[in-house]
Amino acid sequence: MTVLFYDKLVVLKGVDKKIEKLVQANDERQELWQMVEEIVHHKVLGCCLTHLPHEHHHQFLEMFHARPHDTKLLEYLDIKSKKDMKKIIKEEIKNLTKDLLLLDSHKV
Amino acid sequence: MPTTAQNTSFRDLLKLKSLETQKSFKETFPDAHQFLLGKGLELKNLRQYSAKLISAGALTGTLLLSPPTGATQLPIPLDIVQNIDNSNANVVPQEEFINTLKKLLPSEVRPLARDEEKRLEVVISDILRINSKATLEGEHLNTTYGYIGAEQHLKRYPGDILENHGPYYKEGIAPGLGAWGYFAKSKANLTANLEETEKWYSVAQTLYLPDWNSRQPYLRDWYKYRKLLIVNTVNGNAVVTALADSGPAVWTGKHFGGSPEVMEYLGGARYKKGAVLVFFVDDPENKIKLGPVVYNDLSGKDLIKI
Repeated sequence: MTVLFYDKLVVLKGVDKKIEKLVQANDERQELWQMVEEIVHHKVLGCCLTHLPHEHHHQFLEMFHARPHDTKLLEYLDIKSKKDMKKIIKEEIKNLTKDLLLLDSHKV
Repeated sequence: MPTTAQNTSFRDLLKLKSLETQKSFKETFPDAHQFLLGKGLELKNLRQYSAKLISAGALTGTLLLSPPTGATQLPIPLDIVQNIDNSNANVVPQEEFINTLKKLLPSEVRPLARDEEKRLEVVISDILRINSKATLEGEHLNTTYGYIGAEQHLKRYPGDILENHGPYYKEGIAPGLGAWGYFAKSKANLTANLEETEKWYSVAQTLYLPDWNSRQPYLRDWYKYRKLLIVNTVNGNAVVTALADSGPAVWTGKHFGGSPEVMEYLGGARYKKGAVLVFFVDDPENKIKLGPVVYNDLSGKDLIKI
């Protein structure tokens, strides 16, 4: 059991090191961690809804609201979308990681 | 050392990205946004919301399904004893411990159920001779079975530098302070006890506890330097640590952190990440020392290397 059904798919390599280098105060560091997490929640849920046919959105949201930790939500998404949602979410997170690492490099 | 401008720039850009992502979600999925809003669920509070649901569910389940004693949730003593793999009387305690952990732990790293934790408490007490609890004085971490990652040394007092933290220099010293600030006001105030506390410090995700914000300052004080027993579930190495920082971020794929000394003892010089059990040490009289738990008593023989 995880706290959120997609927790195991969300690993943003290097972002914590970047934040650690930039921010020294513990409270500030945790504030930035929280901002990253907010982005992750919106990105992942957006990704799920993008690939899930619209007619299943309401049912998915009901299930998600009732049991946001339940990894069976991934199975539901796989079945209804007919796609490998683990792979898709991991790809989304990979792209997000790149964006965050380049955020202040003026290259994006 | 980053400049304030660099820091501010990244922070502002991150905030901007966060707002843009929220706006994009709201515009692309207005129905979903309205649904969640109608349920009073803001995605920024999603983790806390889910953690509350899980803990409320566990409590409700206990109240509804268990007899008044709650005994059915707990393993029977014989069941626990049978799990301890001492079939070979000549086996060294560490090997016995590793074999028992293999039997009791799930194949994937995940939060453990109460009965799983109770079995492990008994095994730890029996083999490691450490009284440890997954729940102590009503407090419980979000997980007791997770991944630990290597942390840097922490500054113990203003002006502390890496060179004072030998012999493990490779990890460096964190630019910021731990969640509880400096260990001492000055070098002169650094006691041997506090030196040991930094040396054997650990990190846990207290910031994600469902009631972390609502039960302050009690929780902050309760967790400060709280003794945690950390067990490498692969090789059985165990160390008593003091909690001195909050983290790591949930999106790092790790759940705990250990000082360079803790990590060296748990898995050797190249050990950067691994599966561990983390239990509170039940030590009301403060008799258990921080540092390695030596339970083999093999007269100088080394612990099993992974």
